Amino acid sequence: MKCFSRYLPYLFRPPSTILSSTCHTEADIISTVEFNSSGELLATGDKGGRVVVFQREQESKSQPQRRGEYNVYSTFQSHEPEFDYLKSLEIEEKINKIKWLPQQNAAYFLLSTNDKTVKLWKISERDKRPEGYNLKDEDGRIKDPSTITSLRVPVLQPMDLMVEATARRVFSNAHTYHINSISVNSDLQTFISTDDLRVNLWNLEITDRSFNIVDIKPANMEELTEVITSAEFHPQQCHTFAYSSSKGSIRLCDMRQAALCDKHCKYFEEPEDPSTRSFFSEIISSISDVKFSHNGRYLMTRDYLTVKVWDLQMENKPLETYQVHDYLRGKLCSLYENDCIFDKFECVWNGSDSVIMTGSYNNFFRMFDRNTKRDVTLEASRENSKPRAILKPRKVCVGGKRRKDEISVDSLDFSKKILHTTWHPHENIIAVAATNNLYIFQDKVN
Amino acid sequence: MLGCGVKRKWSCLEELEVEAEQDGDEGGEDELLVGPSRSEMSRLQQRQVVLGLCLEKLQRYQVGMELSLRRSVLLINTLRQIQEDMRSDGVGTCSPDVHPDSCILRDDFREDMPVTCPGCAEGDGDNLSLSPPASPESPSQEANSPPDQQKPLPAATVSAFSDAVNAMGYLSDFALDDIFEDIDTSMYETSDLTSAWASGSLWPVSVSLWADEDVKMRPPAHSSPGSLQSCLMDLNELDHIMEILVKS
Repeated sequence: MKCFSRYLPYLFRPPSTILSSTCHTEADIISTVEFNSSGELLATGDKGGRVVVFQREQESKSQPQRRGEYNVYSTFQSHEPEFDYLKSLEIEEKINKIKWLPQQNAAYFLLSTNDKTVKLWKISERDKRPEGYNLKDEDGRIKDPSTITSLRVPVLQPMDLMVEATARRVFSNAHTYHINSISVNSDLQTFISTDDLRVNLWNLEITDRSFNIVDIKPANMEELTEVITSAEFHPQQCHTFAYSSSKGSIRLCDMRQAALCDKHCKYFEEPEDPSTRSFFSEIISSISDVKFSHNGRYLMTRDYLTVKVWDLQMENKPLETYQVHDYLRGKLCSLYENDCIFDKFECVWNGSDSVIMTGSYNNFFRMFDRNTKRDVTLEASRENSKPRAILKPRKVCVGGKRRKDEISVDSLDFSKKILHTTWHPHENIIAVAATNNLYIFQDKVN
Repeated sequence: MLGCGVKRKWSCLEELEVEAEQDGDEGGEDELLVGPSRSEMSRLQQRQVVLGLCLEKLQRYQVGMELSLRRSVLLINTLRQIQEDMRSDGVGTCSPDVHPDSCILRDDFREDMPVTCPGCAEGDGDNLSLSPPASPESPSQEANSPPDQQKPLPAATVSAFSDAVNAMGYLSDFALDDIFEDIDTSMYETSDLTSAWASGSLWPVSVSLWADEDVKMRPPAHSSPGSLQSCLMDLNELDHIMEILVKS
C-alpha cells in the first residue's frame, strides 16, 4: 500500500471542465460530484439542474503512462425549476445530491435529487440499430404492403455510439422540507431521502409510496431547535443508518427495532469545550456531512472548522479530530456577517479509509492521513496548476511573519469555496468542484 | 446597509474580533470604561453586533424562495443564546456607548411604506411596537435617553423579538400540514396563526410586525405568542389575505 508521501504532491491532469469561462452563469455552479462504485464514471450536478457524466478512457497498451482520462459521456437535464402553487414558492432545480447504484447490467443507474424530488436515471448506450425493415423504408416511411414482393429479416447494423439518459422513476411529494441527502441501501432495493425534519425510506421500484422512518418535527414548531443535516446507510448493514444534526450530534438507528426510528441505538456527541464557547458555538458545531468509512467501522463528520472520525463503538467522543482551517476561529463574526459560516462542506474517505479529504476557502482543499498524521493543503485553480505539473502544497500564514508563498488569512477569497469533492473508490484519483470548474487529479505515475 | 444611521465597516467587526481575543486587563486605561473590563466590553459589543445581524438575517429573505429551515433554526438559536446571555447579565451591563444595532426594521418589499425603527424615526412616537419605554431592567437609561434610542435591549424586549421571530422563521413551512385545517378562525386564534403565515411567504408579514402603526407600546410582560401576534397583525391586511386564500 502506498504511503502518503507518495501522494504528495499530486500530478495535475488537464481539468475536464464543463464550462470553463471566467464569467460563468449561476446555473453552471457545480453542486455535487460523485464517482460510481467502480470509478469508471464520474457524475456532476449543477445549479441549473443538469447532470454531466464523465467516463474514464480505457487505458491503452501503447501509452501506458497515460492513465485513462475522464471525458464527457452523457449530459442531461435532470430537474427543471418548478413552482409550488400552494405555497407560492419556486422549487429550485439545483441538484443537491447524486448517488450511483452499483452496476448490474450494461446500463448505469443513478439517483439525482433537488429540494423536493428524487429521480432514478438510466444511462444506456446504443451502438447498433436495426435496418432492413419490411414495412418501412430507410427514411421510415411506411411502405405500401402491396409493393412488397419478398421478406427479409432486419439486421442490426453498427451506428455511432449514442448515450441516452431516461428517467425511469420519479419519487416525489414526500418531502415538505428541503432534501439534503439520499443514500442507497446495501440491499440495492431501497434508499432513503432526508430533509430537515424527516427521513423517508423508498423502494426503488415503487414511486407512489414511501415510509417515514425518522420524524423530528415537534408538535409545536416554536419548539424546534434542531434539524437533520445529513443521513447515510451503513455500507454493509442494510438495517443501519446514521443521521447528523445541526447541534453536532449523530444518531445511529436500527430499522429492525421499530417502524419509526425515533429511538436511536447510538448517540454520538462530543461535549462542548467551555473555553471555546462563543455566540457561534452552535452554528460551527452543526454537522454538514456524515460519511461511513468503506469498512463500516467508522463515521466521519464535518462541521465548520473540523473533520472528526468516530469509532462506531465509542459514542462519547471522536476517535480523531482534524483542524481544517482553525485560523478562521478568530474571524467567526465576519464569517457570520457574510453568511460563510453557514457553508456546508462535504468530506470523503479514500478507498482504503486511510486518508480523508475535505474542502476549504480560496479553492483550497485539505487531506489528512490518518496513519501518519500528516496533512496537506492543495489548491484547485488554473493559475497554480500547469498540465503535468505537480501540485504544490499551500500554507496559510496565521499572524506573524508571512513567508514567501504563504497566504495570509485576510487575503483568502471566501467566494471561492470547495464544498464538493469525491474520491475514486480504488485509486488515488480525486475530483474537486471549484464553483463552476471541475478538477480531476491523479497521483503521480512511476 | 445593516443599520439605519449606523455605519459599520468590515474593519470594525475585525476590531471586535481582535479585541475579543485580547486579555481584558487594561480596563483602567480605556476612557470609556469604568466597571467592565475591556474584553467584557468587546464581548458585549460583539453580542450587540451579532444580535443585530441575527435579526437582520431573519428578516431578510427573497420573495418567492423558501427559507432554509436549518439557517433559520441556527439563527434563532443564536438569538435565544444572546437573550439568555443578556438575562444572566442583568442590570448594569448596558453600555451607553454601544450603538443600537437593533435598527433592523428594513423594509425591502414595501418601499412606499415609511420605514420606522427606534433609532431612525426621531420624534415619531407610535412606531415603537416592541421597545417599551419603561423597562424594569434599565430604569436609569430610560430616564436619560429618549425612548427611540434603544440601548442594548432589555431581555424582555428580546424575548418579544424572539417570539415574533420564531413565528416567522419556521411557520412559513406549515402549509402542507395545516392548510386544510380551519382557516376561517385560524388567523384570529393564537396557535393557529401558522396557517396565515403559511401562505405568508409572499407577504411581508415580518415587516407588518414592526411597522404597524396600530401597535401601541406594550408592556414587555406580554410576551406570550397569542397576545403579541394578535396585537401586531393588521386586521385589514388579514382580511385581504383571507380573501385571496378563500377566493371570496
